[in-house]
Amino acid sequence: MIKENDKQHEHLDHHHDEEEVMEDYEVGTKPESLRSELLTLNMGPQHPATHGVLRIEIKTDSEIVAEAIPHIGYLHRCMEKHSENLDYRGIIPFVDRMDYLASISMEVGYALTVEKMLGTEVPARATFIRTLVSELQRIASHLVAFGTYALDLGAFTPFLYAFDQREKILRFFEEISGARLLYNYVWIGGVWHDITEGQIEFLRDFLDEFEKELDEYHVLVTSNSIFKDRTKDVAIIDLKTCFEYGATGPVLRGAGYRWDLRKIQPYLLYNQLEFDIPVGGDHPQVGGVVGDCLSRYYVRMCEMRESVKIIRQLIEKIPAGPIMGKVPKIIKLPKGEIYMRTECPRGELGYHLVSDGGKEPYRLKVKSPCFTHVSILPKIGPGLMIADFVAAVGSIDIVLGEVDR
Amino acid sequence: MLDELVQELKSKFPNAQVQLHNPPEGVGSSSIEITPQSLREVCFYLRDQSPLKFQVLQVISGIDYVDYLEVCYMLANFDLNRSYEMILKVKLSDRVNPSLDSVSDIWPAANWQERECYDMLGVVFKNHPDFRRILCPDDWEGFPLRKDYVAAKFYNGMQVYPDHKMNLEERSYIIHSKSQAEELQKKSLAKGL
Repeated sequence: MIKENDKQHEHLDHHHDEEEVMEDYEVGTKPESLRSELLTLNMGPQHPATHGVLRIEIKTDSEIVAEAIPHIGYLHRCMEKHSENLDYRGIIPFVDRMDYLASISMEVGYALTVEKMLGTEVPARATFIRTLVSELQRIASHLVAFGTYALDLGAFTPFLYAFDQREKILRFFEEISGARLLYNYVWIGGVWHDITEGQIEFLRDFLDEFEKELDEYHVLVTSNSIFKDRTKDVAIIDLKTCFEYGATGPVLRGAGYRWDLRKIQPYLLYNQLEFDIPVGGDHPQVGGVVGDCLSRYYVRMCEMRESVKIIRQLIEKIPAGPIMGKVPKIIKLPKGEIYMRTECPRGELGYHLVSDGGKEPYRLKVKSPCFTHVSILPKIGPGLMIADFVAAVGSIDIVLGEVDR
Repeated sequence: MLDELVQELKSKFPNAQVQLHNPPEGVGSSSIEITPQSLREVCFYLRDQSPLKFQVLQVISGIDYVDYLEVCYMLANFDLNRSYEMILKVKLSDRVNPSLDSVSDIWPAANWQERECYDMLGVVFKNHPDFRRILCPDDWEGFPLRKDYVAAKFYNGMQVYPDHKMNLEERSYIIHSKSQAEELQKKSLAKGL
């Protein structure tokens, strides 16, 4: 017993010693020993809200972003180097893999660039089909943007609605080209396969149904007060920033500038079609400031309706005829260079093609809209809440395949 | 429109040696070439004072011409009534240590574009605020878009470009020289094919 008591006593003594030590080293009792520092938080590379493999290093001051540094290159395949060793037809599948959500738009831009150098005349029917498929692609791409954006902000249902409709467009593409995402459909001189009367009938039905769906999307998401609160007045990109950083597409239009290459420098058939360019601030009843996340989102929603309008006009007057122009078996472009840009769902896509007269391009440089838009993030990031930063990244709608190429 | 601009630039910047390059075979875009030393003042002029105000720098594209490097600045004017884009070129004759003044304070868009140009072609931009590689890892060796670039077989001790994975024997299009083709024929004969 005595021994045990001793032990207890010893133990207590020891405990007492420990307390003393603790008192000596206790931190935080005096105000001057308090410290604060920025917390580094990695958003990505595997993060659902970055829409791919983008890593953003965020320095946060509690819940507020103090600095945002995007790190890109996780999907870098050096497509520009590959294309220096491929003939002009062989580059088309590589171009597909840049923006894998809008492959047709990539192909159309590339084909137009090469054709302009080559001086090829594209048959009328092929031009009609090209315009038609690029507008369908715009709808499909904006549907992904719409669905995933709602998903980013915590609403799961709109994603299913959007992918349900997108699936129908993908079915159509699968029927005409054999692939669901990477089509290799637009070839130099024309398009690969013709479309049939039955497919046009399918499109007619689809457009009628889709327009009703679009109204539902507005009921489901746009008029939702939680969605509005999360996007209204958040991450404002004004016109000055747009010009400084070279932003284009829905980001520029969201800032209230009526700029669309389809109207400004018409290519394909756009000068014969009637459509409007929706910009931020067109519908003040939606709310928010011009240039915020909500206006970028709303511009995309309105653009889908304009695309429906365009496709309706196209399928009424699609001419009969061949779908492939006369193109030499071995394509050799004349010496020289060209810079050409087209309007993609995500912004302006430019190809700078340098030819030395050979079978392969000497250099092919791609002006990628998403690369430009990601470079704005360090500018708009500071001052946002982390959750709002997710909303900002979603609203510029990036595809990392195109950022990294 | 480009001719007028060239005349103006010539009179304003006599030291810039402004040259107009028209496409040699009649198709394609024209471009304006200036000296590397005068790049910044010409850029300032093009953005603020020229009749076509080039508010936007769309992309910077570097090209390796083996004898020299070339950096192209694609400028665009976002005027709703008369939109216009042009190519401004700078030749860098020093291929070993190419360097150029940064224009990232004139157009913030140049920040990332210049980083990409460095990453791919090794052009060093002076006075750049955040100068490092952008697409390749920071410890990557070489500049991939140079014409004499050879992919490294090892990266950080890992074999990344092994010969046996290239299937050189099966791929006829890799055979460039006659001797190589003969060698392969001999190999297949030896195998009894």
